[in-house]
Amino acid sequence: MGSPIPDAHKPDMPAEQITMTYHDGTSRTVYDTGIERPYPDGKLIVSRTNLDGIITHVNDAFIEISGYHVDELIGQQHYILRHPDMPKAAYKDLWSTAESGQKWHGYVKNLCKDGSHYWVYATVVPNVRRGETVGYTSVRRKPSRSKIEAAMTQYAQMKQDEEC
Amino acid sequence: MTTHNMLIAPDFSPDRFAGWHMFNTLIQKRANLNMHLNIPASHAEQEQVISAGDIQIIYANPFDAATLIREQGYRAIARPIGKSDEMVIAAAANSAISRLEDIQAGATVAMADNRDVKLIGLRLLEAVDIEASDLNWDVTETYQAAARKVIKGEAQVAFFLAEIFHSFSRLTKTQLSVLIESDLADISHVLLVKEDFPDAPIFLEAILSLHNDDDGKEALAELGMPQGFEPMSEEDAEFMIDLMQTLLD
Repeated sequence: MGSPIPDAHKPDMPAEQITMTYHDGTSRTVYDTGIERPYPDGKLIVSRTNLDGIITHVNDAFIEISGYHVDELIGQQHYILRHPDMPKAAYKDLWSTAESGQKWHGYVKNLCKDGSHYWVYATVVPNVRRGETVGYTSVRRKPSRSKIEAAMTQYAQMKQDEEC
Repeated sequence: MTTHNMLIAPDFSPDRFAGWHMFNTLIQKRANLNMHLNIPASHAEQEQVISAGDIQIIYANPFDAATLIREQGYRAIARPIGKSDEMVIAAAANSAISRLEDIQAGATVAMADNRDVKLIGLRLLEAVDIEASDLNWDVTETYQAAARKVIKGEAQVAFFLAEIFHSFSRLTKTQLSVLIESDLADISHVLLVKEDFPDAPIFLEAILSLHNDDDGKEALAELGMPQGFEPMSEEDAEFMIDLMQTLLD
C-alpha cells in the first residue's frame, strides 16, 4: 500500500463522482466535470518522478494547468493526475517501457484539481546517471485534435475491454 | 603562456558579435588566460573545428551540448540566467496564413541552419498535424535572409531563433506575422569545458563574477545576457539533455 492521496474536492459545477483505485491498492474519490482546458500554446509541461512514481519536480506550466499548488504535487504519486477515462493498460505500457530503459510516447488525458481535464502528447524518458536509472522525466506537448479524437476512441474501447 | 581555444556556436544575432569579443577580452584579463575566440560561420564549420580538436571551451546550443557532453568529453559549467532558447514561426503579414492551422502540407519553410530551432518548430507544428515530410525546406545563410524569403512570398513561413526575430527592425517585423512563439523555459545554451581543461575553476570564477562591475555588465549587455551567468551542475545539464531527448521524436 502507498500513501493515499486525499479525495478531490467536490466542484461547484455538475460533475461525475468516481472512485479511482490505483495499482498500489490505494483508492481516491475524484470528480469529472467534462470540461477541457486548452493546452498552453508554445509551452512544454514538464515533471520528474523518482523510481516509485513520486513527483520530485514540476515546472510552472504543469502547476498552471493542473490547478494544484506545487506543495500539493511534490511528494505525491504522479497518478494524482490520472483521469478516469484513461485505461490502466496505457499506464502499464508506460511503466514497463520506461522501466526497461526505453522512451515511451503516448496521448494522455489528465485530470486537473477542479475536475476539468487536458490532453497531452507525453514522452517519458528514464534519467540515466552513470549507467543507473535514478528517475523519470515526462515532457508533454500539445497534441492535434485529430490525434486526440483517435485516442478517445481507442481508450474508450480499451476501457470497455478492461471492464469486461 | 598556453593559448586556449574558445568556440561560440554561430546561432547568435549579428548584433552580438562585438559582445563576444568584449567577453573574450575581459575573461582573458580576469582569469589571466590566453584565449583564442573561434566563431564559426555555420553549424558545419563548427563541427569541423570541434572535430579537429583542441577546443577547450564551447558556448554550445542545447542540441549540440547533448552530444558534446555525452559523447565528446565536455562538461557544462554555466548557463546564461533567464535566457532560454525559444523560437518563432512567422508568415508574411499580408499572406493568408494568420495562424498555425492555416499552414498546408507542401508549404515551404525558410530558416537558417539551426537544428534546435527546426526541432522545436516541428514539435509546435505537431499540434496542427504538420510533420517534417509535409514541408519543403529552404535553408538560408542567415535568419535575415529567411525573413526576406517570407516577405517576398518565396516561402510561406519561416522559423527563427526568437532572440534574432526580436532584434529585427520594426520595418521587417511589421511585414511579418507571428503565428507562435515557444515558451519552453528550461532549454538554454550552455558553457562547456573539456573534461581535462585545467583552468576551468579560474575561468568559471571570471564568468560568474562578470555582472559585478561596469565593464562586465557592459559586455553582458552587449551579449543580451544582462543577468550574467549561473553555475550549471552536472545534474542540471543531464536534466536538460533528458528534455531534449523527449523532443527528438
